[in-house]
Amino acid sequence: MLRFRIRTRPRKMASLEGLGSGPEGRLKRLRKHVTALIRHERLETTYAQCDETRGYAEKLITMAVRNGDRDKHTMEMADYWLLEKDLIHKLFKVLVPRYQSLPATATSIHRISTEYPGDGRHMGVLELKGNPWPPVRPQPRNTRLHLHNIQLEEAKKEYHQERLRAKSAAAAVPPEGSSVDGPAGSSVDPDPIDSESESGESKNSGDSSKR
Amino acid sequence: MATSCRSLALLRIFLAKSKPAARCIHTESKVTNSLVREKRNALFESEKQRQLSLVSRIEKIEVQYKGQPEDCTLVMNKNLSTPFNCAMHIEEVVMSRSVLALVNGEPWDMHRPLKESCQLHFMHFEDENPTLANEAFWRSCSFMLGYVLETAFKEQHYVQLCSFPVPNVRSGSFVYDADLGLEDWRPNSIELNTLSRTGFKLFFKEYRFERLKVDASVALNMFADNRFKTTQIPSIASRSESGSTVTVYRMGDHVDITGGPLISNTGQLGRFNVTAFHDIESSSYGPLTRVQGTALPVQLPMHYWSYENIIAKRAQKLNTAPVPELKQAQPLQSSAS
Repeated sequence: MLRFRIRTRPRKMASLEGLGSGPEGRLKRLRKHVTALIRHERLETTYAQCDETRGYAEKLITMAVRNGDRDKHTMEMADYWLLEKDLIHKLFKVLVPRYQSLPATATSIHRISTEYPGDGRHMGVLELKGNPWPPVRPQPRNTRLHLHNIQLEEAKKEYHQERLRAKSAAAAVPPEGSSVDGPAGSSVDPDPIDSESESGESKNSGDSSKR
Repeated sequence: MATSCRSLALLRIFLAKSKPAARCIHTESKVTNSLVREKRNALFESEKQRQLSLVSRIEKIEVQYKGQPEDCTLVMNKNLSTPFNCAMHIEEVVMSRSVLALVNGEPWDMHRPLKESCQLHFMHFEDENPTLANEAFWRSCSFMLGYVLETAFKEQHYVQLCSFPVPNVRSGSFVYDADLGLEDWRPNSIELNTLSRTGFKLFFKEYRFERLKVDASVALNMFADNRFKTTQIPSIASRSESGSTVTVYRMGDHVDITGGPLISNTGQLGRFNVTAFHDIESSSYGPLTRVQGTALPVQLPMHYWSYENIIAKRAQKLNTAPVPELKQAQPLQSSAS
């Protein structure tokens, strides 16, 4: 089972290995990509090829994790997809232990900027998780302790506390008190700056007029 | 250039006119804020020059800087060079955005001379953990609020600043408790705006915050016309390390007592608003006015809608920081032991 969305139909990629190379050329190129991915753990090419390669690489790793190196079918698949045979050892000895308990995909894919000047292809990066390279995306900075964020966060907290207090005050007020100024109170929105009891009453009266 | 010459000329005329008037006022025993400030500033300047003259021989120290753009070692002058001077050698960005220095891990003002060979690190408002810079900024804002209160009112109102509490950024407002000498006065929105603009104009002045450790007797002389500070100084001095010194800061011509550290200069102020005046009652000082404000550094820009509708509105509520009370001076024996 793959843990990411794939296209319903595979891309044809009719001339990946030269004009008219057909489905065989497509598979040849994808085998090269899967091999390179397992070898170098990061691959940069067009986004379409990254996406196409991802499905096959991911399936191969999932099979290896699930069935182990004693399974004949798995071994045949590894032999087919990995053009450099020393990578079969890497797949079972290095990658299987790495992704044994990973509850997510073993690969990740990123869109990167189109080359300019160039032919305008959408480029992408495909990588194995846990690789030794520096991250593709920079780590997001933690801005929670910046002065303006602290103030906005505190204001938010205060606003919610006041709303809760207003609600509890509205629940505590008896219904007779609210029905006295029902029609007048219903036309006015409860102002958050008002004291708790006032805003509570107006809210309650609004409810009663609806009923 | 022409305008600055003109303003200087105007200032000279003003000073020439005000001198006999000042004498006159003294004989009538009437104090005004501008006279008191002039005297304080002169005392600060003379004390600073005296302390500078004590550095007779220039010795070299090694400062190891760690941070952007690269680690380096600087050879600076002992008791003369400041972290700001070090930053001038490194990069302009480091010089302009740095709020505080960390000297051997200890927070240190940007314009406070270095005393020994040390490791240096700079802090700014967008650091991974800018808590120390935020606190210094909030403290500096209280300090600047004191400047606003002393300068914004007309001469007949003698404003006496009392003190400001420990900075608490989460409270949403910084505070200065003062005796404004005005009875039953509440500012309208235009007056609040004027006060805010008086504070914000400091941004263009780019005044530095200068730190000076003075003897309690000098501090008492400086703040002789302030009935709150004269009572506070003995207890502050008794709690100091040497038992008789008070830390004083100057910004432009405004001098005030605070432990610091403060930010580098007023050019780091991005927004400044005086938001509310509340009456409070102190058991040792009597009735006071709690003046509140809010501010943001220039490094952290914010949309006016969120600033005015959320942050400035919240700063109008009464700040629940403790009311200033006079702490008893510690006896000399305990401070010596």
